[in-house]
Amino acid sequence: MRLTDHEKAMLNGDLGEIPQQAIQALYDLATFYDVEEFVEIVGCHDDSTVYAGEAQVAFAEMLAEKGAKFAVPTTTNAVSCDMEKWSEQKHTVEVMSATRRIEAAHVKMGAVPSFSCAPYHMGVAPSFGQQFASAESNVICYYNSIIGARTNRYAGPLELLCGIAGRAPYYGLHVPENRYAQGLVKLGTDIKPEYFEEEDIYNLISYAYGSIVADRVWALEGVPSRGITNEILKQFSATAASSGGIALFHMIGVTPEALTKEQAFGGKQPKEIVEIHLSDLAEAERQINNPDVDQLDAVVIGCPHCSYNECAMVEQLFAGRRVNENVHFWLITSRTTLGMLKSSGLYERLISLGIEIYCDGCILEYRNDRLGTKTMMSNSGKFDTYCFAMRGIQPVFGSLRECINSAVAGKVIKEAKPWRK
Amino acid sequence: MEKVTVKCKTAVYGNVRAELLYANEPMSFWGTVDPQTGTIRDNRHSLYQKNMSGKVLAFTTPKGSSGTGLIILEQVRCGCAPAAIINLRSDPVVLTGPLIAKRFYNVSIPVVNLSEEDYAKLEGAKEVEFHDDRDEIDIYY
Repeated sequence: MRLTDHEKAMLNGDLGEIPQQAIQALYDLATFYDVEEFVEIVGCHDDSTVYAGEAQVAFAEMLAEKGAKFAVPTTTNAVSCDMEKWSEQKHTVEVMSATRRIEAAHVKMGAVPSFSCAPYHMGVAPSFGQQFASAESNVICYYNSIIGARTNRYAGPLELLCGIAGRAPYYGLHVPENRYAQGLVKLGTDIKPEYFEEEDIYNLISYAYGSIVADRVWALEGVPSRGITNEILKQFSATAASSGGIALFHMIGVTPEALTKEQAFGGKQPKEIVEIHLSDLAEAERQINNPDVDQLDAVVIGCPHCSYNECAMVEQLFAGRRVNENVHFWLITSRTTLGMLKSSGLYERLISLGIEIYCDGCILEYRNDRLGTKTMMSNSGKFDTYCFAMRGIQPVFGSLRECINSAVAGKVIKEAKPWRK
Repeated sequence: MEKVTVKCKTAVYGNVRAELLYANEPMSFWGTVDPQTGTIRDNRHSLYQKNMSGKVLAFTTPKGSSGTGLIILEQVRCGCAPAAIINLRSDPVVLTGPLIAKRFYNVSIPVVNLSEEDYAKLEGAKEVEFHDDRDEIDIYY
């Protein structure tokens, strides 16, 4: 490898034991991928925060105790629970104390205490073209695809080592030439432009896209570019990163490295083209939706964490109605957005509708076993992909409007959709 | 046992021979594997309810959540990590656990990549052996 003097000093242990071990592990990775140099990063998103066992806590504490510091601004991902209202969420003291230990270790290393899986809603995201090290599959996919920043798919705690070293092996999606689309997913003519007025179609298309494309860089053609919000793109990104290993997708006419098809493919032709149809959307919905639920115990919104706009949309869709007394309606957001909700008065208005608002935590850590929840509904393709494996419940999938109408009624209310025959 | 030796690209070296758990599909650890037992609990996966503890785990490519590194580290702590991992293509997500185990904890979980042709030879195999001094593995039937 071609190394700078600073990198040589780090590898040599001149900058301390932790920077040395960090860059050694990155060096091993670089060697495996035949990488010739490191690239300096401008920031890091640290995903080693949802409590996954003692090994993770012990690792972060060991780093912090030995004086490790992040060399670049580093944001923290969601943790397991709301750090204030964890007992209302029926989390255990064990999870809470582990979470506090994780918080302390990461803050000691100099992390920005954002505690959110949607840091891009908080004004701390990288800019187009910047080199970055991100973990958390939805953030990786969002930063690469929707912003055009450059990160590989790092996993907790590898990104933490990049943050400590201030660099990453220069390969994969850090390199501009590797970011062009290789193949194309095309929407069939049976998927009509007017269907895109319903936001749930994006989740179903992205589930199908992720299943087809797996870990490759491809492009999607045929999505009308009008009216796509960052919240819709967030859902698309999170779902595609769950059904597949998508780190970067190009949505032609929408995402910044694919404003034209030519740009997305770097002037070349797609090596492979796959067309998807309404039947693929129906199949995607079969994978993430439980059709056999009537009575509803809980509706969860905020996977990934809600933006302020989504909270405002929730209020609009409730239109003065209240959550049914037999339903828990959970809205999960970041502590930053929570601050804005409180200062604007929207927090009080949402609470008065019977909505429970939490921050910091990951909704996939929902304690249905301790809350007595048997049936759940969500507008998130990511939540619905993982819910059975993590919570033992096959949830209902629906648009935000369907989720809210169902929460008001206390039972699942789905609307007619062209892919539901 | 009949033995076939194939070339591999090695991410993490090590010496181990163990029973093979083979999937001809991608896999996520976070949300799929119980970190305290090593059992696969995703009912959509072909290895549903199988246990990877101490076995050579083969799956085509990593997918899904980037929490996989933490899951593998916790599996290492609980003694239910796979003995080795075989992929068509490993990404940094799946390499994180084995690399940190090696550099910070001195535990070796070999990880290798095979060509599609050689990966197909794993189907029906009983055991696989890894070597820390060369880029090849032995497949036993």
